[in-house]
Amino acid sequence: MGYPTTIDGILGIWTALALMLFVYSYPLFKENQLFRFAEHFFIGLSLAIAAIISIQTTIRLAITPLMAGKIYYIIPILLGFMMYFILHRDYRWISRYPIAILVGSSIGLGMRGTIIPNILSQIIATITPPKAGAVALSWFNFVYIGIGTILAVMYFLLTFEHRGPLLYPTRLGRWIIMIGLGAYYGNTVLFRMAMLSGRAQFLLQVLGLVPF
Amino acid sequence: MSQETIWDRLQRIDRRVIYWLLFILLMIPFIRPLGLPVSISPQAISLVEGLRKLKEGDVVVVNISSGVSAWPECLPSLVAVSKVLIQQKAKIIYWTSFVDGHMTFEKIVEKVPGFRGLTYGVDYVHLGFYTGAEPTVAQLATNIRAIFTTDYKGTPIDQLPIMKGVNSAKDVKMVISSDTGDYCDYYIRQWRIPYGVPTAEIGIAMIFSQYQPYWPEIIFGMTGGARGGAELEKLIGELGDATVTMDAINTSHLLVIVAVILANIGYAATRRR
Repeated sequence: MGYPTTIDGILGIWTALALMLFVYSYPLFKENQLFRFAEHFFIGLSLAIAAIISIQTTIRLAITPLMAGKIYYIIPILLGFMMYFILHRDYRWISRYPIAILVGSSIGLGMRGTIIPNILSQIIATITPPKAGAVALSWFNFVYIGIGTILAVMYFLLTFEHRGPLLYPTRLGRWIIMIGLGAYYGNTVLFRMAMLSGRAQFLLQVLGLVPF
Repeated sequence: MSQETIWDRLQRIDRRVIYWLLFILLMIPFIRPLGLPVSISPQAISLVEGLRKLKEGDVVVVNISSGVSAWPECLPSLVAVSKVLIQQKAKIIYWTSFVDGHMTFEKIVEKVPGFRGLTYGVDYVHLGFYTGAEPTVAQLATNIRAIFTTDYKGTPIDQLPIMKGVNSAKDVKMVISSDTGDYCDYYIRQWRIPYGVPTAEIGIAMIFSQYQPYWPEIIFGMTGGARGGAELEKLIGELGDATVTMDAINTSHLLVIVAVILANIGYAATRRR
């Protein structure tokens, strides 16, 4: 794809750039009217698109089959409408029924595939040593994950006071958890930087300094 | 009155100065790529190895659960994976749980030259948007047609040659989920465990550590963010956007590291007084 040549294409990228700069004017300068305009514009537009897509999906998945004679599709449609009673204080209790069905079905569906990947496989992965010929780092990881798991779990032994023989293992467990959270946070920073780099690239593309 | 030292001034740097520096540093590698090395993780290697096992005509589902905002993170991996799938002559079915997912699909098609030799509806298709999270993913596993009656252009699904004989997870050889959230979990629970469909994750960097325990027992391969995209680009021998993005991320991290070190030295020096 090269630089847009059509009027709507050019207008589109320059509008996007202007809105982007309006948003960045907040951290790079200070809160201002342009930032607020971009913020409200973005929220309004996003909600409008989400509303259109949701209505289209409801028509495609529920209304069309209902009109085609599948009368039982009235049930999910009614349950969907019952959700809106959450907005009325006196009839809020009605909305609890569809929410209960939704939560119950989601938990039921989730449970059927949870035991193997989330418990059994992770225990097996934790206690399985690296294959023969594995590099030293793999062995370090194996030992670190094995001991780290035990220590981190020990930290959550809340029925015993963390003193005596439990003092140092639970302290180490806390450190292991903090290292894990640190790595997680590091990945979060990496993600934000990548998003920002995308915007930096877009700015240069619109200005014609790098190819689209 | 005590005299202000350089450490005192470092403690009071306006955050906007850091933001401006960061934004400028991020731009430099796009104008002049640095070509910094990227090591390849075993997770990315096993992802490509898994894709290479596909045979001609195998049906692969690519779930796009990442929006346009996550393009710098997820798009390079989606592009690289699509290139390998085309090389393997697999039939690719895209679908999305994001309202702007069709834009991601169109961007993939635009960025992968291999699509130009293929026919839409025969070799690849985008079935469009689905909502409903895990219950819908479970329903897709048992009956795709209960969720998708047409593709994203409105063509009835039964008129698409690619969908002939493809009704459920049993007819799909592999599912690849591009995530910014929990969707890979749904595919693991509803596709991988009950039906044994090999599953891979190409998510944002933030969730890489979340899915790492699943590899390799539950998911056969995974990549995380732009870094993962750069690894895939290197593995398939076609450097692209993620490789340049990694240069930008590396330079920005350099600034962050320098700022953290200076701030800590400044803090220690001023506290001592």
